Amino acid sequence: MKNFAHNKYIEIAEFSIHLFSEVAFELEEGYGPFEKTEDNFVADFKIECILNLPDEIPFEISEPIFEAENDAQKFYSIYRLESGLGIVIYNQQDINQIQQIAILDESFTSWKIYSAKYQDIHLPLKYPMGPILMHYITLKTNAVMMHASCAYDGTKARIFTGFSGAGKSTMSMIWSEAGNQIINDDRLIVRKMEDGFYVYNTPMYYQDIPKKAPLNSIYLISHSPENTINKLSGALAVSKVMAFSIQNNFDRQFINSRIDLFTDINNHVAIYELGFVPDKQVIQFVIANES
Amino acid sequence: MDIQLLNNVKSKFVTREVGNELIIVPLSANVAHMNELFTLNETAKFIWENLDKSNSIEGLISLVTDTFDINEETATKDVETFLGKLEHMLVK
Repeated sequence: MKNFAHNKYIEIAEFSIHLFSEVAFELEEGYGPFEKTEDNFVADFKIECILNLPDEIPFEISEPIFEAENDAQKFYSIYRLESGLGIVIYNQQDINQIQQIAILDESFTSWKIYSAKYQDIHLPLKYPMGPILMHYITLKTNAVMMHASCAYDGTKARIFTGFSGAGKSTMSMIWSEAGNQIINDDRLIVRKMEDGFYVYNTPMYYQDIPKKAPLNSIYLISHSPENTINKLSGALAVSKVMAFSIQNNFDRQFINSRIDLFTDINNHVAIYELGFVPDKQVIQFVIANES
Repeated sequence: MDIQLLNNVKSKFVTREVGNELIIVPLSANVAHMNELFTLNETAKFIWENLDKSNSIEGLISLVTDTFDINEETATKDVETFLGKLEHMLVK
C-alpha cells in the first residue's frame, strides 16, 4: 500500500491540480505563488509523482505519434497508449538521457510522472514538463494555452500575439509604462468561464502572482512603418489566432475542439491585425480604432 | 507538382467550414507545421473540393473558369498558388 505522505496543491487558470508522492518533492520557483492549502481543495487533476525512472519505459516506444524537436534540440516524444498517452521528455543537457516519463489516462485528469533526480532533487514539473502539463490540461476543457502577451487596463484585457520577434514584449513594455497590468508577456491561458472568456498567467521560471482578467480583444501584431489596424472575421480570424496557440496537431479531435474553441472566442472577442510603430502612440491608436 | 499525390493526401488534413470558408489544418507528427493552417476562400475551397474531379492542373483550371466569373490567367494563378501552399505544407 502506497503512502502518499507528500502533497502539493496548485491552481493554474482556476484548474486545481493535486500532486502527491511517497517521497519529498519540490516545484520550481515560479509555482510558489500558485500553491494552495489542502483546505476545501477539490482536484480537477491528480498527479502521482514518482522519484526515479522505471528500469524500462512502461510502454511501447517504437512509433511516436508526435515528436517535439527542431534541428538543434529534441524536447519530447508522445506515444498513444491503449488508453491515454505516454510522454518521454529528454534531458536538454544530454538528449540521450530521459528526464521524465509521464503517463496520462484517457481523460488527461490522472497522471503519473516518473522523474530522474535533478541535482539531487525530486522535481516532477521540471521544465518542460510543467508547460506540457498545462497544455494537456487545457486540451479537453474550454481553454487554450497561447504564446502571447496580455495587458489589462482594469476593464479590458488585450492579447498581443504573433511570430517570434513580432513585438510581444515591446507591446508589454509600452502598455505597462501607460499603467496597464501585464498578465504575462510570453505565455497565457485563455479559458471560457460561465460569464465569458478570461486570460490567466501561468507559473514561469520566475515568481509572479496569479492573475486573471476578462478578455476583450486579440491583436495579431507585427512591426510596421506606421500604425495600421484591420479587423478580422470568420474563418480567417479563427485560423490566424489558432496558429499562435500551442498545438500538438497529431489528433483530429484535438484540432476540431480547438477550431470550436477559437470559433467561440471569435464570436465573443474582437480580433485584429495590428501593424505598429513601437512607441506609446500605439495605445491611443488601438483605443481609437476598437469597435 | 503531382495533383494525384495531393489528392491522395487530403486525408492528412482536418478541414472545417466556418461561415462560407474552409479552415484546413495539417495533421502533424512534429512541430514544423505549428503556424501553418490556413483559410480557404470560395475559390480555394472549390479547388480543394474538386481535387479529385480532375487529373491535371489544366483540368482544374478549366473547372474553376467554368464555375467562377474569372479569366484563365486569374484561375491559373489561384490554382497554382493554392497547390503550391498545399505542397509546401506536405513536403516540409
